[in-house]
Amino acid sequence: MIEVEALTKRYGSFTAVRNLSFSVRPGEVLGLVGPNGAGKTSTLRCLAGIIPMSEGTVRIAGHDLASEPVAAKRALAFFPDEPRLFDYLTVRQHLAFVARIYGVERHEELAKPLLEELELVEKADVLPGELSRGMKQKLVIACGLLHSPSVIFFDEPLTGLDPLGIRRMKDSIMRRSRDGASIVLSSHLLHLLEEVCTHVLILKKGDKVAVGTLAEVASQFSNGEPNVSLEEVFIRATGGSES
Amino acid sequence: MIGALLYLRLTSLRNLVVYRISRLRQPKYLVGTAVAVCYIYFILLKRTGMQGGPASAAPGVASAMNNVVVFICVAASALALIRIAFTWISPADNPGLRFSEAEIAFLFPAPVTRKTLIHFRLLSAQIAILFTSVLIVFFFRRFGSSGGSNLTHAIGWWVILSIFDLHLNGTNLTLSRLKERGSGYVLWRTVAVAAIAAYAAAVVLSTMAFLKGLRPGAFARQGDLGSLIQGLAGSSPLQWLLLPFKVVFGPYFANGARDFGLALVPALGLLALHYYWVSNTEARFEEGSIALAEKRAATKAAALSGDFSKLGSKPKARSGPFPLSPQGPPEIAFLWKNLISMRSTLLNRRTVLLSLWVIICLSFGLKPLLAAGARSNGADVYGLLIVMFCGIASAYTLLMGPQLVRQDLRNDLPNVDILKTYPIEGWRLALGELLAPATVLSLVLWLCIIVCAFAIDSQGAIEWLTPGVRVTLVLCLGSVTPLLCLILLILPNSIMVLLPGWYQASRSRGGGIELLGQRLILGVGQLLIALLVAAPAAGAAALIILSSAWVLGAGPAIALATAVVLAILAGEAAVGLWWLGDRFGKFDLSGDIR
Repeated sequence: MIEVEALTKRYGSFTAVRNLSFSVRPGEVLGLVGPNGAGKTSTLRCLAGIIPMSEGTVRIAGHDLASEPVAAKRALAFFPDEPRLFDYLTVRQHLAFVARIYGVERHEELAKPLLEELELVEKADVLPGELSRGMKQKLVIACGLLHSPSVIFFDEPLTGLDPLGIRRMKDSIMRRSRDGASIVLSSHLLHLLEEVCTHVLILKKGDKVAVGTLAEVASQFSNGEPNVSLEEVFIRATGGSES
Repeated sequence: MIGALLYLRLTSLRNLVVYRISRLRQPKYLVGTAVAVCYIYFILLKRTGMQGGPASAAPGVASAMNNVVVFICVAASALALIRIAFTWISPADNPGLRFSEAEIAFLFPAPVTRKTLIHFRLLSAQIAILFTSVLIVFFFRRFGSSGGSNLTHAIGWWVILSIFDLHLNGTNLTLSRLKERGSGYVLWRTVAVAAIAAYAAAVVLSTMAFLKGLRPGAFARQGDLGSLIQGLAGSSPLQWLLLPFKVVFGPYFANGARDFGLALVPALGLLALHYYWVSNTEARFEEGSIALAEKRAATKAAALSGDFSKLGSKPKARSGPFPLSPQGPPEIAFLWKNLISMRSTLLNRRTVLLSLWVIICLSFGLKPLLAAGARSNGADVYGLLIVMFCGIASAYTLLMGPQLVRQDLRNDLPNVDILKTYPIEGWRLALGELLAPATVLSLVLWLCIIVCAFAIDSQGAIEWLTPGVRVTLVLCLGSVTPLLCLILLILPNSIMVLLPGWYQASRSRGGGIELLGQRLILGVGQLLIALLVAAPAAGAAALIILSSAWVLGAGPAIALATAVVLAILAGEAAVGLWWLGDRFGKFDLSGDIR
């Protein structure tokens, strides 16, 4: 469960996110959309505890991110757009390291099916430098899922993946959602959001333009027209420009 | 066509200068530039000849300074020979010429001949060589003059660097040509390496024979390396063996206009021969140049992004230093991770070979001093030398160690987002990251302390240095060392978190005069803070030992002082870690680096 109340993020005099409130319940997938510079990445980074928010409250799995950061972070996983890995740790060593950080007992038992699912078994003793981008992405996912997080954040999850990788990533997101995880993902790929998201939050210049289920948001901007696509909704909601 | 290429080079240079000047509007660059200009003016220029300089120095000092110049030139020649030999021993998969990625994208498909591209490459190198020649002249002014003016010295260095650059390019093109032909590639390389090895052996053997023939003490009395080298270069086989180097260095060491003119003619002849070699070698350098450009671009991108680990050679998978259990303090996971990283970056083959080389040099260098010490009566020269060496090694470890061993937050800068999602308090994350470098530095210091304890006063001349006091000192210094290393490591990590823009700029290669200033500011600032942090503990220790040693005795007084020092350092380390962890939690790289 993710509960966000009046989240505001400022960089000096510039306000990146203003007074944002929403919640994501277990099993829900919230798509975060908006033009470039809308505040999507700042929002995600605040929610994951990477940067401190300027004002507001964020509760992750019932834990206040500001006052109980350790407990809150224990329940979440964050997947950045670029796979960030340690150059000198092999795939297996990455999992051992993450297991110690999160205190995951019997991590080898848990890692085995994960590595099999992500087709990393043969690369277990290989350094990240020898992995393709898709493989690196898979390793990041394996590390993130090792502690069975109940809250997951994806920042542009499909960047750099081939069609097969995209299919698998979508399946993975939906499977975690079915298993009861609360998921927030940020993406410019609206067809991805239409496929995997139950809810959508549209941001523009740091302000919330719309939030709700896909149907609710569509109806808000459809002007009575039937079957309006998310792309059309997005253009209407954001005015079709960044400014 | 060359006109167009010259336009590209000069316009790029002008725009670079304009860009550098325009970014002075940012305080970090302006302050850096101001400090660097002051440093260059007051330390390099004003001290070195603007007001008399070494020319007015005492004869003994001038001779010593000249020795330094001669030594640098001999060392440079040896390094050049090693570099050329290395090119033949281990050539690149596709030997090529150095072009940037943009130059490759625009010039390789352009309707220009291969020779024009080679000329463009040589022309580009000339700008850097001219600039470097002027810089070297300024730098060498502090070591005095070997005769000649600044202009002849600059021309001399231009000749030296140009011939070296042409020789390397010629070697790469020749290797590329040999590889194209296929047959005899390995044979030709073997012949070239054997020839270089035979040449080096002939030079070394002839030098040894010459030194053997010297009257005992002749060089020691004279003490002039320049005269020795002159005698050496004029002796029978060496005058021919060293002829290429004599020709190359001739203009630089020429005394007066006539000598310079006479030395310049053969040097320019050699330069022309090299130019002919490079411009007339028909080799396919394109593939090698592309590979080289990609490698350089990747290295540059890694340096700019702060991903320092990618600057070295390709990492290898290593086993962990110990089995990592999934349960227990998370700090140990960072120690485990960073020790693996260290095994790849610090404890690699290059470091081991370098250490062996330093040990061999020290052994040979210390040999005559130790022999002299053995002949003298009374003082334990051998022990004193070891203690001095350990003292210098300890000082370097404390001052330079935290800069060199950076498998901590600094190395993990690219992974900062992931680190911040870990469910760990900030201070614990900071402690975990600093454990590996602190462990390594502590081990080096412990080794120095133990060796010192054995070597110091082996004849038992110091009355109060009883075995008990000796053991107490080792234990006390040993217990203080880890905390001291931890505090010294907190400082550069704090600078990274506090001033990431400065840290990023100062770690990138090159970058101009303003980055020199930034590095100076950071270095001096760090040294001052380290002294400030160490002062309370040092003061308290001195006070306790001086006031209680005559009552308690040396051993207990040192132990008592150590307890107080440990308490002070532990307090400082705790505050430092808490602060670093807190700052790291609020640290936003994207917001801070401009």
